[in-house]
Amino acid sequence: MASDASAADARARARTGGARYGREAAVHTGTTPDGAHAPRRWGPEGTGAAGTGVGGSESSGAGAGRTPPEPAVVGRADGGRTGVDRSDVGGTGVGGTSVGGIGRAADTGWDNGGDGGDEAEDGGDASGAGFRRGAPRGTADPVKLLLHRHRRLCESAVDPLEIAAGLEAHGLTDRAALSGFRHRDVFALAEELYARVPHDGEAPGPAPVTRTARSGPASWVLLTLLPGAPAALTLLALCHLEGPARLGAVAAGACALVWSVAASLRRGPLRSGGRPARAAGVWAAWLLAYAVCGDGALHALLGGGPDAARHPDLVPLVALSCAVAPAAWCARLFSVQARRRLAESRSLADFAADTRPLLLAAVALYAVALTAIGLLVPLVFHGRVPLGPLVGLGTLLLLARLLAVHGFPGAAASGLAAACAAEALAAGSVLAGRLPGCAALGAPAAQLVRAWGA
Amino acid sequence: MRIGLLTYGGYPYATGECGLWCDRLVRGLADHEFDVYALDDTPGRDPRRGQRGLDGPPPQARRVRTASPWAPADDGRRYGRRDRRRFAGHFGQLALGVCDERADSFSAGLHGLAELAADRGGLCAALRSETALRILEAACRAPGARRSVRDASVSDLVAFADALERALRPLSLDWYGGGDAGLSAVDLCHATTAGPAALPGLLAKRFFGVPLLVSEHDVHLRTHYLANDGAREDAARTPVRALLAAFHGRLAAEVYRAAQLVTSGDAHARRWQERSGADRAKLRTIHPGMAADRFAGVGERDDAGDPDTLVWVGAIGPDQDLVSLLHAFARVREQRPAARLRLVATEVAAGAGAACLAHCRALAARLFPDRAQGAYETGGNPVSFEDAGGPGAPGLPGVYASAGVVVLPGSAEGFPVSLAEAMFCGRATVSTEAGAVVGVVGGTGLVVPPRNPEALAHAILGLLADNGRRRRLGAAARSRALELFTPEQNVAAFREVYLDVLSHSPGRPTAAVVGAGGAPLPFAAAAEAHVPVRWAEEAGRCVVGAGAAAGAGGRDV
Repeated sequence: MASDASAADARARARTGGARYGREAAVHTGTTPDGAHAPRRWGPEGTGAAGTGVGGSESSGAGAGRTPPEPAVVGRADGGRTGVDRSDVGGTGVGGTSVGGIGRAADTGWDNGGDGGDEAEDGGDASGAGFRRGAPRGTADPVKLLLHRHRRLCESAVDPLEIAAGLEAHGLTDRAALSGFRHRDVFALAEELYARVPHDGEAPGPAPVTRTARSGPASWVLLTLLPGAPAALTLLALCHLEGPARLGAVAAGACALVWSVAASLRRGPLRSGGRPARAAGVWAAWLLAYAVCGDGALHALLGGGPDAARHPDLVPLVALSCAVAPAAWCARLFSVQARRRLAESRSLADFAADTRPLLLAAVALYAVALTAIGLLVPLVFHGRVPLGPLVGLGTLLLLARLLAVHGFPGAAASGLAAACAAEALAAGSVLAGRLPGCAALGAPAAQLVRAWGA
Repeated sequence: MRIGLLTYGGYPYATGECGLWCDRLVRGLADHEFDVYALDDTPGRDPRRGQRGLDGPPPQARRVRTASPWAPADDGRRYGRRDRRRFAGHFGQLALGVCDERADSFSAGLHGLAELAADRGGLCAALRSETALRILEAACRAPGARRSVRDASVSDLVAFADALERALRPLSLDWYGGGDAGLSAVDLCHATTAGPAALPGLLAKRFFGVPLLVSEHDVHLRTHYLANDGAREDAARTPVRALLAAFHGRLAAEVYRAAQLVTSGDAHARRWQERSGADRAKLRTIHPGMAADRFAGVGERDDAGDPDTLVWVGAIGPDQDLVSLLHAFARVREQRPAARLRLVATEVAAGAGAACLAHCRALAARLFPDRAQGAYETGGNPVSFEDAGGPGAPGLPGVYASAGVVVLPGSAEGFPVSLAEAMFCGRATVSTEAGAVVGVVGGTGLVVPPRNPEALAHAILGLLADNGRRRRLGAAARSRALELFTPEQNVAAFREVYLDVLSHSPGRPTAAVVGAGGAPLPFAAAAEAHVPVRWAEEAGRCVVGAGAAAGAGGRDV
């Protein structure tokens, strides 16, 4: 056959790669008028391969199988043999495409099955064209075929370099870019691909909502319901016990209360995530202590000195500890809704404007819940609870905890410290009013107490 | 010399072939000291897990320090007003450099942040604060910003700030000062990547004047693009990927700018380094070495192998083009009916690899009917699928010894190991042109375009027909492999590179000795005091002999 004479030339050319021969072939035949990169004289195989859509590498490689001296004969002979081969492989041209399709589909690389299907069709086209002698099918734009093949890569790329990385991972080399696409290297080809793909502001999909790992929805719910129990039990015990048993009950109740509050704050939406808020905790403890016994102390001071320790009023403490659960629920509501707005908002100003009413709503909800508890607890325990200070203290504590949870422990601590300072100022001014000549200092506090009742 | 080795993933637990190369380098350069500073690159990976049976670090690796950017880090310091303003200024420069292609304030911002972290600490918390988010948003909405980052939403900015803080974690580590135990005491920083793991090298150069050398086998920017491509299901959104890509690109350019020499494993990586902004005068190509002693027996035998056997060795996976190999073998069979093909798989990639194997088996069964010796014998397929290490192919040297021609039609990413092994065995090769193949083969084997069974078949037939040509090509391949791909040449090349880099660096500025009256005394410190050599050697090495001692002293430098 003609391959004996052509084998030597093919060997020589195969050693240096098909690219150079592709260029030589173009020089031999001259550039075709429509700029087809595959010389048309090489018959249907060269052009058919160009129509395959695998890029110029295959066409230049197919060119390597041909020899210049006997173009038509070899082309036809090779075309015939290859045509026979393709039919031999699968029995028919269809079989050939199915095998080719399997081969291509198995070679997934960057493309998914869709592109493998494209290739199967193109393979069918080529085998069909293999039997059409001399029908010119050179394309003027091989880059368009490459663009179609790597459409997903090109559209989702943020950079020409990303397209270049993808093309190289798919096997394209500088030589193929030069021979098939007339670009200096793969980077220049990638820049052309990047420029040709429309990048006009794709409709941004919804941001993926990250689900934080939760330790089970029930655990923190139960934990937040916990602090109410020791406080109530202690109060009941105090009502019914006398003498040294009272001290024991108070001690046990205090320990249980502290432990349960700490446990409920360690998990769930009131968890401060590893940022220790020690200072805020200290001020919060002071505020609670004042809530318990500060009113009585202030009255006693105003009445002329701490003569007798008034009975400490534990009912507000019970109300506050029962309100830990609503606080946790409000905090969780706030954080879930805020995260949703974070995923949807387009700028920081938008996010702030969306979240402010949400914060107010959460705090107001907690205030309502605390008022309800404040009305219920005195009915159960036969005590008296001033609603205004209770709700104010509860809201202040909730705000401080929210600040600590969401990353501002310093602000929380300073807020609570300011409240403590105000209360200390009130008590201190009354005490200072007793000093000779400073009666005016004690007057504002006394007036406020008379107006609002401590 | 003390070398600070900056890697990903700890030593000897570094990832992939980089780890093996690090191991060979450290063991080969036994007269230098190595301090390994490793940054963990995957979340949740135990940095102490061994890799491929490597035992512990050799005695040259004096110190191994690891850090994981995935661990939460917060040293509890917060910035005051002045520091906050300083941070805003530097971070604004960095953000502008990332978002704007034409701005060149990235390196100023990066170094400013490094100084702030060194002075005040607390950079991790500041990078995750609201100030940082506001600055990022302003940079993204600036007039000259890239088109793809312009519509970044708040969650995109948060995601990018998270990734940025993790990438800039090396700025806050305590690896730098500390006298003898930090990067201030090394003579040379050798970074194995141009990514965030090279940040300590940048800082050491800036603060202490330690020269930086970068060697890359897989270019970091390219692996970043391949790992974060947008076609995956869990890919991040476009603005985040655009910002990350811009950041890594700028960081790579900065690392290449600060490095004194940049080496790559092959010409393929070199192109990426040039493209990322490395100065061409700084680039060297040093091929990675591979252990090839077991192939010496086969390689020295000078026979051309069995003229009817083709061998393919590799890992079966979706990027290996076995289909065109089978088609080419069909054409080869027409000319030489006695030919047979052995496909020796070193490993099968999970999932897609098994599917590929099944497809190839089906294709082989369809293309090549079983053939028997006689009418009453059991036939066999001329294509045999074997496992390396299995009963049919107990050792790779034997496999290569039986081959007439070794065929490698895959698209090889990275260094084509089986091609180099075939070259060590002195076998003629036919491979498809992809990646670094042409640089590895040179002129000692045939290279055909990819996905072209006809060209492949032509090349194979030409080789199988000519014994002498196969022998000549094989001998040329073996001598090329011995010249370029042995670990000894790799180690020797790096020894010379170390000397080169150190000879060009200005040296540590020691305090000038002042004499009476405050005038500096010239020549007060002997020149040997500046040479980074350990003069106190163990007794065993000094006793060897005069010539050997002089040689040992020279080698010690």
